Amino acid sequence: MVSETNSNSKGKLRKIVSRALKATMKGVILYVVYFVLMQFIAPVSEFIPDFQQMVEIFVTVYISLVIVTELISGTIFQHFLNTAKAFCIIVYVMFLLRTGIFGLTVGNMSLTVDIRLFLVLAMLMGLLGLAKSVMQAINYVNERAEITSI
Amino acid sequence: MKIPIRIIGIATSVFWIFLIIFSVSALYSIKDIKLEFGEPQISLTSGDRVLFSFPIAIANKGYYNLADLNVSTEILSEQNQPIAWGHSFIPIISKGEALNTTHNIELNLTELLQRSPRLMFNDTELGINRTVSMRAAEVIPIQVSSNNSMPWGAPLYNFTLGTPEFAAIVSPGSTARYRVIVPMSFENHAFFDLTGTVQGRMYNNTNMLIGEDQVVIEARQSSSYHGSLEFYVPATDLTIGGHFEVLFAAPFFNYGPLVVPYGE
Repeated sequence: MVSETNSNSKGKLRKIVSRALKATMKGVILYVVYFVLMQFIAPVSEFIPDFQQMVEIFVTVYISLVIVTELISGTIFQHFLNTAKAFCIIVYVMFLLRTGIFGLTVGNMSLTVDIRLFLVLAMLMGLLGLAKSVMQAINYVNERAEITSI
Repeated sequence: MKIPIRIIGIATSVFWIFLIIFSVSALYSIKDIKLEFGEPQISLTSGDRVLFSFPIAIANKGYYNLADLNVSTEILSEQNQPIAWGHSFIPIISKGEALNTTHNIELNLTELLQRSPRLMFNDTELGINRTVSMRAAEVIPIQVSSNNSMPWGAPLYNFTLGTPEFAAIVSPGSTARYRVIVPMSFENHAFFDLTGTVQGRMYNNTNMLIGEDQVVIEARQSSSYHGSLEFYVPATDLTIGGHFEVLFAAPFFNYGPLVVPYGE
């Protein structure tokens, strides 16, 4: 009985450690991807005021959600957070879409870059992600219901 | 249910990767687009028009093609009214391609000088609005606009009629007359050589036309002109004061009469 409890707690600990490792790995990978991409965008972001700040806020929120989602994976809350992630993308894109046109004026010259097409595509993909999260949640509840009835 | 979810997941990931790579590389490519305007070449066309030809050098060193490159320029008068404009359109510039072209603007000098006669006598600045628009990677609309000015040199800068000199001509058997010599000078600050005629009319203080003269003027670009108008006036019609009327006729413009009083 004591050995069974010990092996149970060992198994739980192993699960928690593996989730934490997975979450850390995902967070690090996402940050590295962000870091590499920012090196490319850096020359452009110099011309667009607040661009870097906007991207940083989004990346911070997104990575946090990814880490928390991973930590609570296997529960219904994972799907809630997946949905929150998808919402985060949609809301962020909608916030950007208010403008979608970045302008800069230097002396007597003004530059305008219209990236609304990208934002619309990103929003559509956010919607796809949202649909996926909802389907995953339904599937999870379904499976749980099946297990309970068995 | 699991298979459709997995397919949606894979599709979303693939689309995201594609979108991120494409958008980042397209934005990164923008910095490798070089567009340079050279010094304008000025030439005269038929129909009293001046043609400004701006050489444009475009180099697309980015990863994607450029589409719908549109260069438009507008020259504005002192009152900010458009007086000349030009458009250039290049449908596509492939990646790695360097292109040289010219952007032409036609300026109707006759119309401009008729609309703003001040420009004939005063140097000033004309506004230039230039807009360059294109589609980077064929999908991202970019627009660059600038406001500049270009100097306008007056063709008849500082036009002056000097103090008339009167000389009596006495010939036996005919009525006494006066030869009136009026010095005339100006500087040609315009970007073209000026050739034409100046017609002078002399009026006394009762507004009676008492003498007429016409001279041919020739002033090269950035040079001064010194000449004179000569009138032969009957002594009986001459009064202490009066005015001159000056009319200009050149290939680009006709202007007049310019009223210049004398003797008062």
